[in-house]
Amino acid sequence: MKPIDRFFRRYILSVIGILLLFFVINIVLIGILFLTSYLNGVKDSVFPMERFSNLIEQKNGAFAVDPEANDILAQTDAWAMLIDDEGAVIWESGLPEGLPLKYSASEIAMFSRWYLKDYPVKIWNHPNGLLVVGFQPGTISQYYISFKTRYFWLVLFICLAALVINIGVMIFLFLRNTRKIETAMRPILAGIQKLSQGETFHLEEKGELAEINTGLNHASDYLAKKDNTRAEWIRGISHDIRTPLSMILGYSSEIEDNPDLPAATRRQAEIIRKQSEKLRTLVADLNLTTKLEYSMQPFRIKPLDPLELIRQVISEFLNNGLPEGYELELSGTDTDIKTFLYGDNFLLNRMLHNLIQNSITHNPGGCQITVSVKMDNRICTFCVADSGCGIKESYLALLNNDTSIPSSQTETAEAEHGLGLKIVRQIVKVHYGDIQFSNITPHGLKTEIHLPDKFKG
Amino acid sequence: MKDKSILAVDDESELLKMLQSVFYRAGYTKITTASSGKEALAIFRENQPDMVILDVMMPGIDGFTVLKEIRKTSTIPVLMLTARGEADDKFLGFENGADDYLIKPFLPKELLLRVQAILNRAYPEKERIVYLEASTVNLDKAEVYRGDEVFSLTAKEFTLFEKLFENSGRIVTTGSLCETVCGEFWQGYENTLVTHIRHLREKIEANPSKPVSLLTVKGLGYRLHIKGAEK
Repeated sequence: MKPIDRFFRRYILSVIGILLLFFVINIVLIGILFLTSYLNGVKDSVFPMERFSNLIEQKNGAFAVDPEANDILAQTDAWAMLIDDEGAVIWESGLPEGLPLKYSASEIAMFSRWYLKDYPVKIWNHPNGLLVVGFQPGTISQYYISFKTRYFWLVLFICLAALVINIGVMIFLFLRNTRKIETAMRPILAGIQKLSQGETFHLEEKGELAEINTGLNHASDYLAKKDNTRAEWIRGISHDIRTPLSMILGYSSEIEDNPDLPAATRRQAEIIRKQSEKLRTLVADLNLTTKLEYSMQPFRIKPLDPLELIRQVISEFLNNGLPEGYELELSGTDTDIKTFLYGDNFLLNRMLHNLIQNSITHNPGGCQITVSVKMDNRICTFCVADSGCGIKESYLALLNNDTSIPSSQTETAEAEHGLGLKIVRQIVKVHYGDIQFSNITPHGLKTEIHLPDKFKG
Repeated sequence: MKDKSILAVDDESELLKMLQSVFYRAGYTKITTASSGKEALAIFRENQPDMVILDVMMPGIDGFTVLKEIRKTSTIPVLMLTARGEADDKFLGFENGADDYLIKPFLPKELLLRVQAILNRAYPEKERIVYLEASTVNLDKAEVYRGDEVFSLTAKEFTLFEKLFENSGRIVTTGSLCETVCGEFWQGYENTLVTHIRHLREKIEANPSKPVSLLTVKGLGYRLHIKGAEK
């Protein structure tokens, strides 16, 4: 599940990154807007009422207007008038026709903040009255906002709260949607992962992604069917080959043991018998590896004495007769092991048998093989070591690679590996253990198998 | 034992011919064959053989059914000889009363040894005497004769000796011997086993400190060497 978790974690982080990016971009854009406005003279666009007012003075009963005042009015295409306390216009400049020269208090109150007959106006308190500057209709928008002071903070709070709630809702919806997608995608991704490992599964065919689930189920069913067909075929073949092989073994043994026959014929029979025995082993291995691969092998867990397990395997070899030049012994073993190993006796026996057989097969000149076991921190370690020729480092790396079982037929021209090591690795896997191959100085191969105590009740 | 009558049942006639050949060459004289379950039951009822070698998968009545029919009236030894090598098939065979289960393909020597062992167990000789280098053991009386002396074997010594004798010439592991005496849960019995072995040696060996018949195989177990047998 780790890659899936990683995927969603990255997805969430990337979305947070995108949101931050938007935030930064917006701040930058607003900054650019203010800068552009500043550069375009927004600051100067506000009519200089105070300065303008100071340019109008009453001297000797008449109003003296500084020429600059007229320039300001001309630049802004505006007009101006001064209204005394009685509401009469006592001075004006460019006053449009149709505007009255006398205003009541209510008229002054009405236009002071908005418009005088569509002319947007601004007012200023002049020493001689009320200075009114009017602009061309449509050039200035005037709004007047008024509400009770106590509502101001409420509105401000509501605005801030709205902003925070909006951000919160956005994050909540985003996480909820991500969660929904994750829930829907997780089984699909897990299914794809299982497919890549050759495992089968079944997904619920409902929801928005039902179509994808159906497709994956079809793929899984197809894979299972293909695997079953292959497994059944191998089982069938291995079954059908047994009786003919019995006859080959039987008659070749008969010929081999018949003293009345010529020695050459008996030797040929011996070769047939030996090759048939190899075939017998191959059929058994093929059957076992197939069953392990497709979980068809019954797995019987019971407490085992690891030392007795080794004794039985070694005794089996010794009782059946070790070829000349080989020595097999139980070595350096903690004979006081009191802890049980929980595992399948048949499979573990087979595992050790295959490793010993491997040492024999790959060292035709003979060698010394030692088998040992130790229990440490609830981990049982089996070690099979030989004093043979060892193996090449490149091949060792391949052997220690969990995913592949190298075949000597493609790697080297040495003796065949058959399925022995593959079966060993499969048996180690079903016991949740690990296996390590290493060369011994000056020569030889050591195989260590660590089996954790996974099955103990 | 070679005069015991054996019925071999298999639907493969060539295999039956081979079995006959193997047994005749080994010295057996009374081998009959049947190529179906029905024929096997008919011969069994008529001839009452001393032992049956039975295939499982046959057209008509299968081997397990034949075995069940045989077991209704007889306790004669039956060896299942079959291509069905699954553990569950083996269990089924033993549950139905099979004495042994041999999976094809097999070596004739292995079949002969198993048949011999089964016949020895099923039809023991009147006096089972085991000849050792320094002594003779009468298994029926559980007695050891060494020179002029006679020693009785205790129950556990006898059980151990019988196990070693059945596997004479072969290593019998410490665990197997302990299990023979104690049953499935034998751990912790190893030291007691050593004591039993020492007592056994005191009875069967001329010099228990230097045994020549009951040998220790270091780290593995023990091996009984019968006089005259190949080492």
